[in-house]
Amino acid sequence: MIRSSALTLSVGYVLLGIVALVLFATPLWYAWRVSVNGGRTELLQEDAQRLSAIFQNRGADGLARFIDERIGLQIANERILLLADASLKPLAGNLPQWPSGVPEQPGTYTVSISVAGREIRAGLVRTALPGGYTLLVGRDVARLRPLEKSFWYGLAGAAGIFSLVGLIGGLLVRRVVLSRIDRINQTAARIMQGDLSHRLPLSRRDDEFNTLSRIINRMLDQTEQLVHGVRNVSNSIAHDLRTPLTELRSRLEELVILRPPNEEALAEIEAAVADVDRVIDIFNALLRLSKIDAGAGRSEVVEVDAADAAAKAVEFYQPSAELKGISLTFEERGEAPILGDPVLLAQAIGNLIDNALKFTPENGSIAVETRRRENGAVEITVADTGPGIPEAEKPRVIDRFYRGDASRGTPGAGLGLSLVGAVAKLHAGSLELFDNHPGLRARMILSGMA
Amino acid sequence: MKVLLVEDNERVARFVARGLRESGHVVDHADNGRDGMSLAAQGPYDTIIMDRMLPGQIDGIAVIEAIRKSGSQTPILILSAMSDVDERIRGLRAGGDDYLTKPFAFGELLARLDALTRRARAASAATCLKVGDLQMDLLSRKVTRGERAVALLPREFKLLEYLMRHADQVVTRTMLLENVWEYRFDPQTNLVDVHISKLRQKIDLESERPLLRTVRNAGYRMSAGD
Repeated sequence: MIRSSALTLSVGYVLLGIVALVLFATPLWYAWRVSVNGGRTELLQEDAQRLSAIFQNRGADGLARFIDERIGLQIANERILLLADASLKPLAGNLPQWPSGVPEQPGTYTVSISVAGREIRAGLVRTALPGGYTLLVGRDVARLRPLEKSFWYGLAGAAGIFSLVGLIGGLLVRRVVLSRIDRINQTAARIMQGDLSHRLPLSRRDDEFNTLSRIINRMLDQTEQLVHGVRNVSNSIAHDLRTPLTELRSRLEELVILRPPNEEALAEIEAAVADVDRVIDIFNALLRLSKIDAGAGRSEVVEVDAADAAAKAVEFYQPSAELKGISLTFEERGEAPILGDPVLLAQAIGNLIDNALKFTPENGSIAVETRRRENGAVEITVADTGPGIPEAEKPRVIDRFYRGDASRGTPGAGLGLSLVGAVAKLHAGSLELFDNHPGLRARMILSGMA
Repeated sequence: MKVLLVEDNERVARFVARGLRESGHVVDHADNGRDGMSLAAQGPYDTIIMDRMLPGQIDGIAVIEAIRKSGSQTPILILSAMSDVDERIRGLRAGGDDYLTKPFAFGELLARLDALTRRARAASAATCLKVGDLQMDLLSRKVTRGERAVALLPREFKLLEYLMRHADQVVTRTMLLENVWEYRFDPQTNLVDVHISKLRQKIDLESERPLLRTVRNAGYRMSAGD
């Protein structure tokens, strides 16, 4: 397939080149012909006038002598000269008799004439002189044929060389192209076998192949990340669901084995229901995340004031902060309108504050701030004075289910920040985590849904 | 109260029907859309619980549309395993009055059912709400407990208003989240409880008879009696 396509390509180029050559040569040929013909006609007319002038000065005999002298001098015998009397009997010139085929009237012609059985294609000027004399000045056009021929031969030669160079060039290009495509194929084959770590080689030249390879490599990066993510998620789901399910199972089994008195049994059953609720919560959070990732929820796009949403969330979490002795403050810097999903935005802001509340110690502080950037994007920042997140862990905390060592033993499904990340992504934005010296400064930057 | 339950899952239907009967309601059960539709046409019911997905040609949405086309105003609570906002909107547009996602706690179902039937009974246009000696003036936005003025923050006012409008009913945490804060997600923490306890500190002083009570495994109830 590739082989034939490379060949087709070079043959196609050659054909195209030849067509271009012909198209280029045709007007050239035409221009040359016109100028040569035109020039010839003018020369013949000039010649005829000069000879007419000689006739006026010196009479018929004088002209006849002049013509004969000139014929004697002529080297290239292409000029037709003939002076004839009233009965068209030649007086002087290089034709043995008046040719047939010459039009009756004086004027300039290109016609075929025949002289003593010889066929000549000629340009002619017929001039009537006083006293019934006729002057014929002409030129054998056939003498120009070789010149024309060499023009076309030259053209054909050029086309031949062109084809040859084109074909060789095509074959060379084909070899280069093939070798690069082969390398892409080999890498792709290896990747298909399951090794996603391979990447297409990049050459030093920044050509189209490099661009293609880079795009494919980026695609592979994303695929690898996704596959990695899926693996992580299934591991995490297994872990995070297994824990409450194990508790639930042992609780129920214990009930069956121990058959405790009613009161105790009731308490155990209630605890079992709470276990199930935990499973459902994790499950719902997962569903929501996968929906956000799939870009669903777009039906809900309206203009949301992020400042409003943040103010509401701060108010909502305020009592909880008071209980922990944490100061939760909100600083609004004007409206921050954005196109988005109000439910998801509220939840994302809520998750950020919730997260901050979980990790900020007593007497700490949490500062929420919304700001509209000059380019229209909206920033929502939640800064706490908790332990912060070690630099190395920062990229991972947005991963589904990832929980830093510091968070072991705190409630939550570990989905909080990943949901914030997913919501930010859905709103054409990002979640950035900075150091708050001490603490964490989490910032959502949103451009808004289209 | 007479309830029509249209639900194809036998276990869920048994669970809901038993719970409703224990709460003193009469329950008719249909396990498919066709039977549900004919029962709804026969009967007057105080409320209908409709599963969103039913076997056969006629699903819950179609049954609801048919019921509404017949001119019936009976409040309908939709049960669904689909939690999408879109699905919720579709159900409510078809003529449902509330939407509850499976799995659910029975207390949640009962509380919502209660809220639905009362809402249908009295869409109150009162300017003053009263529970025992607790009074709320909706125009001047003043709250008094007996002679004592109660100062509330705007959100606390809204919370109390909702509780008072649903006096003598169980109100769940989810209902409060949805109606007072308009939050359609579970914040996963006991924030509603914290808000309630702050409100309680303001309206129920230690010397006073408590009006706002916690209902175990369900939510809260505002009530003057026991």
